[in-house]
Amino acid sequence: MFSKVLIANRGEIAVRIIAACRELGVATVAVHSEADRECLHVKLADQSVCIGPPPSDASYLDVSSVMAAAQITGADAIHPGYGFLAENAHFAEVVGECGLTFIGPPPDAIRLMGNKAQARQSVAAAEVPVVPGSERALANRDEALDLARAIGYPVILKASAGGGGRGMRMAAGDDELRAAYDTARSEAERAFGDDSVYLEKYLVRPRHIEFQVLADSRGRIIHLGERECSIQRRHQKIMEESPSPALSPELRDEMGHAAVAAARAAKYLNAGTVEFLLAEDGSYYFMEMNTRIQVEHPVTELVTGVDLVKEQLRIAAGEPMSIPKRRQVVASGHAIEFRINAEDPNTFAPSPGKISHLSLPGGPGVRVDTHLYSGYTIPSHYDSLMAKLLVWGADRDEAIVRGRRALEMFRVEGVKTSIPLHLKILAEEDFQAGRLNTHFMDRYAQ
Amino acid sequence: MFKFDEICELIKLVAATGVAAVELDHGGSKLRIDGVPPVVFADAPSAAAAAAPRPAPAPAPGSAEAQAIADEGLHWVASPIVGTFYRAPNPDAEPYVKVGDIVREGQTLCIVEAMKLMNEIECDAAGTIVKVLPDNAQPVEYGERLFAIRPA
Repeated sequence: MFSKVLIANRGEIAVRIIAACRELGVATVAVHSEADRECLHVKLADQSVCIGPPPSDASYLDVSSVMAAAQITGADAIHPGYGFLAENAHFAEVVGECGLTFIGPPPDAIRLMGNKAQARQSVAAAEVPVVPGSERALANRDEALDLARAIGYPVILKASAGGGGRGMRMAAGDDELRAAYDTARSEAERAFGDDSVYLEKYLVRPRHIEFQVLADSRGRIIHLGERECSIQRRHQKIMEESPSPALSPELRDEMGHAAVAAARAAKYLNAGTVEFLLAEDGSYYFMEMNTRIQVEHPVTELVTGVDLVKEQLRIAAGEPMSIPKRRQVVASGHAIEFRINAEDPNTFAPSPGKISHLSLPGGPGVRVDTHLYSGYTIPSHYDSLMAKLLVWGADRDEAIVRGRRALEMFRVEGVKTSIPLHLKILAEEDFQAGRLNTHFMDRYAQ
Repeated sequence: MFKFDEICELIKLVAATGVAAVELDHGGSKLRIDGVPPVVFADAPSAAAAAAPRPAPAPAPGSAEAQAIADEGLHWVASPIVGTFYRAPNPDAEPYVKVGDIVREGQTLCIVEAMKLMNEIECDAAGTIVKVLPDNAQPVEYGERLFAIRPA
């Protein structure tokens, strides 16, 4: 095991990693920007180093400052957390070249999964389903029509150079596609200066289902079940739960195997997440693989009893994962995570400021991962996540009731929070019935 | 016998940690490496202690108030990066500057090493050096005060 780990992150995830290190008897180094001197991770770590000014590109994203901090403190490994440098293959490489251990996957696996086209090819070769489509730019309208008939309507046209919804056009039949093809091309030309478009099967009201995987240096790769993250707004997850109300044991098995196959194709090591879209007819498609610990990892921890961050440390240190070989990881009960952001619950505008009063919920089946304390000022330079409230119940109904009471007992004054939004979602009949999809939040669109 | 690489490693270690000297007796071969310059142990901070602002060594003992008055009007040169502070271009050389030296803008004051890159830190005000805060080979944080200058 390592003797000293530097945490190249801030806020709640840095605190979470410190907790894992302490339980393993590993010393910790916190790094921080000038805006984060009073942040809890700085107070809890054994050592701390100021690495730069408030903007992240000059502090948390600055590879040489992070490495210099590791050198002057004598750390032997670096945990990147999520965000910042976590999925930067160059950083993982530099850490290795400096003789330190990067607590995460090998640089090549990060690079492969970071490239959408290569990731798609590599998992498709491992017989993991990918969204059917043209993969590359269409030559003409007839090619679009032929392909659409072959994979089945509805389909969506997307700008090759695009992103952010521009240059996207849906079509439910031949006539619509003929019109959409010209519109999508001229939109793409105007928006990106490139009129090439590609075509994909359009999934109606899909669910976001992701699988947690762990791979160790002994060649063992396992999955720890799924998390459903369909409640999202502009691709930002708001609530996550496990198990998904939509998965039968057979489907879970099949998707879990696909997730392991995707990880194996990438020669993966350490903790990772394979994301799928699940269509209403039960077909599922690989979306991407996140090569890091995720924000919502505690959902899996609550239902499996596995401490994922401690497993990350063990695996990076060359030890086998601590889950006994013959034991199937079985989920028990139901867990839900609520991301509590410092933001206006109606307009979603960030609300940085000083926490004048804080009282956290507790009691049976409640966990709070946070860096908040009374008197702490949330800086405006970083993301607005201020706490993750997690609840566990014997079944989904109990988890929902427990979630409501814990949200009501979560008292924070001084900033606006997304707690009222979570209570509103919990009260929705669709949510209670488990009728979720990635368009769930559209009902609150202004 | 000591191997050449081992000796090199030891020299690096002595320079990096700032200890006064290392003496080894290995199978009859004796080796002693002296650090330059010798460090005052009472003031040798650990990397952890470096995180807290350290009181500047005052030329004469005085009250906190007297210190505040003495500090008034001083220009502080802060480290622009995290790394290791060196007062001289190499262990055998004289320090770039000493207390009492008159410095001009753009003059090199010290080196802060980060990832094996020697970053020369330049003076951003003309005046007289009145304090050198970190010890040689000590880790410094971003924004940590390195020198106090009485502006000309």
